[in-house]
Amino acid sequence: MFVINIKIALRSLIRQKFYSLINLAGLSAGIAAFLLIAMYVQHELSFDRHLSKLDRLYRVVEIQNEPGVGEQHVAITMGPLAKAMKDDFPQVINAVRFMPVFNVSLIKYNDKSFNEQYLFYADPSAIEMFDIEIVHGNPAQVLAEPRTVLVSEKSALKYFGSAEAAIGKTLLFDNTSFRVSGVMKDQPETSHLYFEMLVPVATAEVLPEFERMKGWGSNSLITYVQLDDPSSFDIINQGFDDFLEKHVFSQKDTWQYLEMYLQPVSKVYLKSGHIKFQNVYAMGDANMVNIFVVISGLILLIACVNYINIAIARSFKRSREVGMRKVLGAGRYGLMVQFISESAIITLAALIMSLGLVELVLPELNSLLGTNFRIDFLSNPLYNLGLVILFIIISLISGYYPAFYLLHLQPIQALKGISSDSGRGTGTLSSVLVVFQFVISIGLILAVLVIRDQVNFIKNKDLGIHYQDILYVGFGDKGYEKLKVVKTELLKNPNIKSVAGCSFMNGVSGSQGPVFVDDTSNTKLYVRYGFVDEDFFETMGIEIAEGRYFDGDLPSDVNRVNIINQAAAKALGWEVAEGKFFMYPEAADSSGKTEVVGVVKDYNYYSLRSQIEPAIWGWQPERFEGVVIKTASKANAEKIKHFIEEKWNDIFPGQPVQIIDAVNYNLKNYRKDQNSFTLFVYFTLISLLLSCLGLFGLTSLILEQKTKSIGIRKVLGGEVWQITFMLIRNYLILVLLAGVIALPIGYYLMQFQLNKFAYRININAFHLLLPILIAILISFTTIVFKAYKSANSNPADVLKYE
Amino acid sequence: MINAINLSKIFRTDEVETTALNKVSFTINRGEFVAIMGPSGCGKSTLLNILGLLDNPSDGEYFFLGKEVSKFTEKQRATMRKNNIGFVFQNFNLIEELNVYENVELPLVYLGMTASERREKVEATLGQMQIMHRRKHFPLQLSGGQQQRVAVARAVVANPHLILADEPTGNLDSAHGDEVMNLLASLNQSGTTIIMVTHSQHDAEYAQRIIRLFDGQIINENIKTGREASNSL
Repeated sequence: MFVINIKIALRSLIRQKFYSLINLAGLSAGIAAFLLIAMYVQHELSFDRHLSKLDRLYRVVEIQNEPGVGEQHVAITMGPLAKAMKDDFPQVINAVRFMPVFNVSLIKYNDKSFNEQYLFYADPSAIEMFDIEIVHGNPAQVLAEPRTVLVSEKSALKYFGSAEAAIGKTLLFDNTSFRVSGVMKDQPETSHLYFEMLVPVATAEVLPEFERMKGWGSNSLITYVQLDDPSSFDIINQGFDDFLEKHVFSQKDTWQYLEMYLQPVSKVYLKSGHIKFQNVYAMGDANMVNIFVVISGLILLIACVNYINIAIARSFKRSREVGMRKVLGAGRYGLMVQFISESAIITLAALIMSLGLVELVLPELNSLLGTNFRIDFLSNPLYNLGLVILFIIISLISGYYPAFYLLHLQPIQALKGISSDSGRGTGTLSSVLVVFQFVISIGLILAVLVIRDQVNFIKNKDLGIHYQDILYVGFGDKGYEKLKVVKTELLKNPNIKSVAGCSFMNGVSGSQGPVFVDDTSNTKLYVRYGFVDEDFFETMGIEIAEGRYFDGDLPSDVNRVNIINQAAAKALGWEVAEGKFFMYPEAADSSGKTEVVGVVKDYNYYSLRSQIEPAIWGWQPERFEGVVIKTASKANAEKIKHFIEEKWNDIFPGQPVQIIDAVNYNLKNYRKDQNSFTLFVYFTLISLLLSCLGLFGLTSLILEQKTKSIGIRKVLGGEVWQITFMLIRNYLILVLLAGVIALPIGYYLMQFQLNKFAYRININAFHLLLPILIAILISFTTIVFKAYKSANSNPADVLKYE
Repeated sequence: MINAINLSKIFRTDEVETTALNKVSFTINRGEFVAIMGPSGCGKSTLLNILGLLDNPSDGEYFFLGKEVSKFTEKQRATMRKNNIGFVFQNFNLIEELNVYENVELPLVYLGMTASERREKVEATLGQMQIMHRRKHFPLQLSGGQQQRVAVARAVVANPHLILADEPTGNLDSAHGDEVMNLLASLNQSGTTIIMVTHSQHDAEYAQRIIRLFDGQIINENIKTGREASNSL
């Protein structure tokens, strides 16, 4: 029986080659798209899953509400927090502090030297809490002694040639020596916190500049805690009020508006978009993941709907066959099995083809996302259990309904061919499915248009700071001492227009803190600190709104005066800012007083996703980390870079040069958006294509059934255009109906998405009308060809079928 | 009205060449009622399709209302058809999605008449065929006889000069069959030319002339008196 079923199924598929091919193409493209998205989603969800204590690990997050910047969540905390939590909460069984090592520019071993990005201070408890596997060295000792360093296998290989050779060797951090205490296994790249070298926090604690870190007033460390049980989460969160009262609010000169909460480490990667000051390796977006899950589901659904649609339409032709079989005694069960065998064969073929497609597309996807996805039948459940489940679900969904529909017909009814009443019934169902597909397509086109405009808007928006033709070169901790030489030497090149010292190319340093207005009110304002010289604002095209820039002819400007932005002036309610004074903890001058000499126009020093916060700039050379270099716009980039490298080697011998292109660097802020958008466009196109394919197949079949009606109309004098128009009109009505359903939903969802941006576009009529037009155009071209062909056929041929 | 000279129709597939009509010549005058008879596959329906401008002959000349139409394009034929010819088929060929009224109205729509003109004509015809009470029904809700009356109504609603009937009683019992034949005969009496393909000697008796086809050729043209046809009324 089984063999016969397969045989019949195969023959039936071969006899209707055209529709079998449409089904096969549609299903395999749909499944391939589904698999690709599933891999992306899998990757996004895999972050930190390797941690054995994941369900009990939490990051401490602060909610600050200081005047100036308003409420903000930050993931850096105070130095004593980890120990205090362990002492005060019995549920906290372990705690660890991490802090990036900022003040080391270069690590050397013999003649090898590198800039290290993933270098952290860490407490010894990191080993146990983060499952750090020690390959060489004593796990109890590796993070205990000051001035030692735990290196990854990768780093050991880089500096010493092998992991074994690393132990006991000495690395020079700038000019300070660190002994290698151990070698750890490389961290998986799916870690939100990724490190290649760890230095005991104890090392930092003896340094004078870390004195402040020991109190409760400064935030610079990331604190993670391990709880005895996930259920203790609420107890700790509720206990923070008393905890803060005891340790923080009771003391002078610390935070006044502060709350704390625990964030599960399992949520750090995907759900930290609202948190500032994160030292994370990578950041995902739960929202984007959800969108992709929905899209993959829709694509699969569209592919199945196509199959069902075509199968039902074909059932007109097959009803006689089914009737005959029933007359000959076939049972419902046997017929059901036959139909499902057919869809199972198609599904199986489609699954195999989809794997080929995935294999074909993966390299592209990997290079777009910077990932390393591959088809893995053995260890990735998506490719063993997942495929089996897909196979069963698609076979059943696609085979069951058409079978069910045909089988509930009475044998006589089926023999006569399906009657007009039931025919109208399937017509309605087909229409519902076509509308469904168009609702999805129109919705997706709307989304693509809106997101495209938003991405372009952000890309082209005037930030108020101009990165065009700007290069940034860092010179490390003491480089400022040679700033004058750097400027003089670089400006010898006629293609270099200006050079300015700064804390970073965006003008601000990473830190944020309070300033106090120097009057009786002593108003406190929370601001971003920035450190730049007299040439910075002009070099970067940042305009002055009031007063003046720093003046190179006034040596008294250095360390004495400051410039603020409009946001700061506004936050303080100042009509005129010039001549006002701040008390400024970061001031280099011992009096701590600094005078406002100018107000620059607000510019976005970070991405457009965040609002512009109040900021204050001082001309404090010892806080400079590098220079921005403005080049002539038509200059040969390679030549200039070579020139800078040469000069750098002269001025800072032995120090590697890293020249950053400011435009590219800042695009990084949006690269994730851009990548997600590109993926989104691809998958939308696939779903559109699938919809078209389904529509084409369905139209072909419906027209086959209409053959007679078309023939009669022609006999009665209907002209080709009249009949074509009649055939198309019905579809246009369906498309318009789909538009009426899709647009309000799409509008609402897109508004929701756009509201996440600080600077956003508005949805306009173009966004709403174009999807309808595109859908009409697509259905038109799909149908017109088929319809015209049918309408143009010879009525005598057509009527012969009867 | 109709002058066929050496009409041939050859169907070709990749392997086989079938001659459905072989140099058929005849003339049919205005107001005649002609039956075409012959066994299955003799070319009756092919001839009727050509006469009805549903198909072009492979060879020969065909003068319809004085015009040589054998080389007409589909567009020209469509225009000719809708203005002059009505069709009645064995299986009725009503459009199932349209109700009785809409089916009968369709030829008038294609003639570009206004809605009010159409209503007047359709209602008059439905009344004449005594199916006015069924005008809201769909074809499959009607009996075969009723369906064929709708088909005849549709064929005559535009007052064509010629009605072509392809075995109009083939799917009907004898009572309903007679009903339809009487309808055709009365139309003929009021001046409409009728050409009917039939297997039934009984039906052929209604005609004034019988053309017998065999293997694509005319083997016999049998002219009867008009009296026999009118006797059956």
